[in-house]
Amino acid sequence: MLKVTLRGLMAHKVRLIATALSVLLGVAFMSGTQVLTSSISASFDKVFSDVYASIDVVVRSNNKVETPFGSQRTRISESVLPTVTGVPGVEAAEGQVVGQIKVLDKDNKPLVAAQGPPNFGLNWLTSPSLNGWKVVDGVAPTQSSDILLDAKTAKDGHYAVGDTVNVSVTKGVQSFTLVGIAKFGKLDTWGGAQAALFTTPTIQALVGEPGMYDWISIAGKDGESQQQLANTVAKVIPPGTEAITGKEFTAESQDAFQKIIGIFSTFLLVFALIALFVGSFIIYNTFSIIVAQRTKELALLRALGASRGQILRSIILEAFFVGLIASIIGVGCGVLLAIGLNKLMQTIGFSGPDTPIVIPPVAVVVSLLVGTLITLVSAVFPARRAATVPPIAAMRDVAVDRTGTSKRRVVAGLVLLAAGAFMLWYGLNGNSDSGLQIIGGGAFFVFISLTVIGPVIATPFASVLGWPLQKASRITGRLARENAMRNPRRTSTTASALMIGIGLVGFIAVTAQSIKASTVDAINQSVTGQYVVTTEGFGSTALPQTMAADLNAVSGVQVASGISGTFGDVMGRSKVLLAVDPTSITQVIKFTDVQGSFSSLGIGQIAASEQLAKDKHLALGQIIDAKFLQGGPTNLVLSSIYKTEFPTQGSGWIISTDQFNAVVPPAQQTYSAIYVKLKDASSAGVNAALPGLKAVTDTVPGAKLQNLTEYKKAQTDQVNQFLQIVYVLLALALIIAIVGVVNTLLLSVYERTRELGLLRAVGMSRRQVRSTIRLESVIISLMGTLIGLVIGIVFGWALVTALADQGITSFAIPWTQLVIIVIIAIVAGVGAALYPARRAARLDVLRAISSD
Amino acid sequence: MTTNSSPADTATAAHTENVTKVYGAGDTLVTALDNVSVSFERSKFTAIMGPSGSGKSTLMHCVAGLDTINSGRIFIGDVDLSGLNDKQLTRLRRDTIGFVFQSFNLVPTLTALENITLPMDLAGRAPDQEWLDTIVSTVGLGDRLSHRPSELSGGQQQRVAVARALASQPAIIFADEPTGNLDSRSGSEILQFMRMAVDKFAQTIVMVTHDPLAASYADRVVFLVDGALVDELQSPTADSVIDRMKRFGA
Repeated sequence: MLKVTLRGLMAHKVRLIATALSVLLGVAFMSGTQVLTSSISASFDKVFSDVYASIDVVVRSNNKVETPFGSQRTRISESVLPTVTGVPGVEAAEGQVVGQIKVLDKDNKPLVAAQGPPNFGLNWLTSPSLNGWKVVDGVAPTQSSDILLDAKTAKDGHYAVGDTVNVSVTKGVQSFTLVGIAKFGKLDTWGGAQAALFTTPTIQALVGEPGMYDWISIAGKDGESQQQLANTVAKVIPPGTEAITGKEFTAESQDAFQKIIGIFSTFLLVFALIALFVGSFIIYNTFSIIVAQRTKELALLRALGASRGQILRSIILEAFFVGLIASIIGVGCGVLLAIGLNKLMQTIGFSGPDTPIVIPPVAVVVSLLVGTLITLVSAVFPARRAATVPPIAAMRDVAVDRTGTSKRRVVAGLVLLAAGAFMLWYGLNGNSDSGLQIIGGGAFFVFISLTVIGPVIATPFASVLGWPLQKASRITGRLARENAMRNPRRTSTTASALMIGIGLVGFIAVTAQSIKASTVDAINQSVTGQYVVTTEGFGSTALPQTMAADLNAVSGVQVASGISGTFGDVMGRSKVLLAVDPTSITQVIKFTDVQGSFSSLGIGQIAASEQLAKDKHLALGQIIDAKFLQGGPTNLVLSSIYKTEFPTQGSGWIISTDQFNAVVPPAQQTYSAIYVKLKDASSAGVNAALPGLKAVTDTVPGAKLQNLTEYKKAQTDQVNQFLQIVYVLLALALIIAIVGVVNTLLLSVYERTRELGLLRAVGMSRRQVRSTIRLESVIISLMGTLIGLVIGIVFGWALVTALADQGITSFAIPWTQLVIIVIIAIVAGVGAALYPARRAARLDVLRAISSD
Repeated sequence: MTTNSSPADTATAAHTENVTKVYGAGDTLVTALDNVSVSFERSKFTAIMGPSGSGKSTLMHCVAGLDTINSGRIFIGDVDLSGLNDKQLTRLRRDTIGFVFQSFNLVPTLTALENITLPMDLAGRAPDQEWLDTIVSTVGLGDRLSHRPSELSGGQQQRVAVARALASQPAIIFADEPTGNLDSRSGSEILQFMRMAVDKFAQTIVMVTHDPLAASYADRVVFLVDGALVDELQSPTADSVIDRMKRFGA
């Protein structure tokens, strides 16, 4: 039987190409992204271990606030340094200061885009055992006006020693003299990041606090382990500080980065699985068709004494070989893909200097397993059908698709649909932590249920869709429509693959449109100012607080009020808090008091949104325990419960700017946005005030002055950007679905060789043959697309409804986009038919009709 | 070429002049047709007979413009096929030639009536309703006309196939073993139907067969052996055909 399987495999290798291709693409995507993210992760692991290689022990504050980007810590005083230096076993100890700083090019534009690699300002360490930098040109910084740049930044900015270099920080733009250019070890950059180095007091003034270090790095003498030294140091340092080994310190940075990469990796994995899920339909369809076409051969084998089990195993084995081989090639392609993407990322300067490709064995094994298993599972049903072929079928004519409107099918489909809908509802409305998984599972069941019902609705659907075609192009339309209807299972499975892809596209499009509409609505309803100043920077590179005062001083400005955000632990959980000046902000953004008074929010107080107060059962006057970077645990009194349509609310907690300044280091005391209201909002008033506004915002690099229309566009553009990324990632699933359409058409053409020959013999022209195949393809594509869009809209509506209390209040359908999707589907349908139609038209009439 | 009927001055519906066709090359060279010159008279029923591999099907395929030849000339009416490209051949088939095959004669997704009018639908022209009614009533399918082929018996299917060949009033109809897949009763029904089409409607039919009984329905039988035309018989009977066949060792 193995021989039969292998021979069958060889005989049908052309027909199995699409199966192999869909497995291959999915596996390649899956393994490729895993290899890429592992490589990036490994390269950054190396960056961190290189950067911190000379550090044996780190002394730092033990007060920290967790953020999604790792923990932030309070700085420690310089006074700790002498204590540490005196410890026996310490070779050298120096305070390290690190902050965000933007090096500007000669046109005063940031050298690194907001989405680019990080940009750091550091202090130059003087002890050789701690400083990894090697000056390659000029000297180290010694004066307060000195700056030293990494080799790449100097090159990118066309800076030479002696040039004036401008940098942008909290306090605005400052000028320095480039005294030196350095490499980190042998590398041009600090692990891919931009670095500017200053004397310790200079950088403390720029991004830190005078007299404070971020941490103290200690190099030990030889002969003592890091742990021993850390233990010794720990005994002498003051309370509120801790000593950890260099290894632990490096591992913490590595872990924080891996967490981010991990999220990214999971995100990509979801799309790889979607692609494989779509691919499983192609596999199922191919095997179904092959089994149908081989009915006579299988029946012959049965008549000659093959058991059902042998037939079943034979098909399964065939699927196994196809799945395994395709997966192996897929992993190979995935590695190549990762290498290519890695090169690309290096060229655009995103990744580390020389990221070696790391191929994690787990990713390879999992990719192979998933690819092979999906092929096997998808082939099980066709294989079972093959096993039920009775020996007598060998004597009969070719079997026809008997899948009709069987009651069992409808019932099973509806049960699955109900289960899926329930899971969607539960996931959206329940407060379960695994809501997202439940929603994903629900969507999966809905897709499966539609696939089960598919054959039942395929015939009427094809009939309706084909009707106008039949009216328009007579006999070719009629034949195309009949062909789409004759194998309902085949048509519906092919369409299902497309339905999933289009369904997700539609879902994302509807959700994004709703988010955009809600955002615009919210801004319209809440922002009463005319201008908004935004920035790409954050923390110390955002807008200086002085800017609000400067804007207030511009003639024609009634009020300018800034908003800041910070991480803090509130009621034991890490949250984003907004900070505003309550008296001025209420003049540019509408806040309604539910309880208490928002506009009198002051030091020692905190405000909560109505939703938050309801969810957490908060009462006015309640003490809220909070913890920030500065000052440690802080008790705040809940003095206001407010309501606003304003879209950026963070977690709903708001403190006053005064309170914010008390708990955040000076360098972080910036605004993320400033809202400006003019005295005269007419165009004359706007024109009069605009030059003054521009003059102020131009002093801060990266600051953008936008009127409300531009601001709204910028907000919705962010959604559009995300949308584009998701579309690109879903494209693979759609391509696989189109491969499925091509495959089904090709197999159908092959199956209808005789019929096509007959049509050609009685006078069908090649053009008419092509047209028939093309129209059939369009019917299938439209069927998948239309059902997909309906599902997408329903899913989108469900999500938007569930997110209503998160500020997504409008449900909007992007009709233009949907129409474009339908048009693309028609074009793709025509495109998918190109090759099959040509094959059909090229058919040798004589061979087609000569009876074998 | 654009009209259905051939010019009146041509006595034959189709004829060949020294047609030769070979397959393969070198040692595997097979001569399928060897200098064949034959003509098929208008409004007559001609049968082509010969043993397996004699080239009778090849001859029919070549005359019908389905297959190419190596040398010689073939005419349908007065149209020389050698000068036509695929598009023109397709049109010729559609407008002036009718086909009946051994099996798989009908498009399974179309009803019997739709199958009959298929060539006209492909040409985008309306059938001659009066002629169509005549054909349809002669086929005798009655209410089964709206049924799909799978719901018809083999004999009924083949009658629909003959009706389709007749419907467009072609200059000539080629039938390739039309009774090969049928039982003898259905087979003789088809042959009677074809005989009647020639007698009553003055159609021209060329039929390839290896069955002497089927050949006996024809006006004339031509015999092919090893690709060469060896003999012919006018007004054959089953016995006279068998007699003649024996001579060729078939």
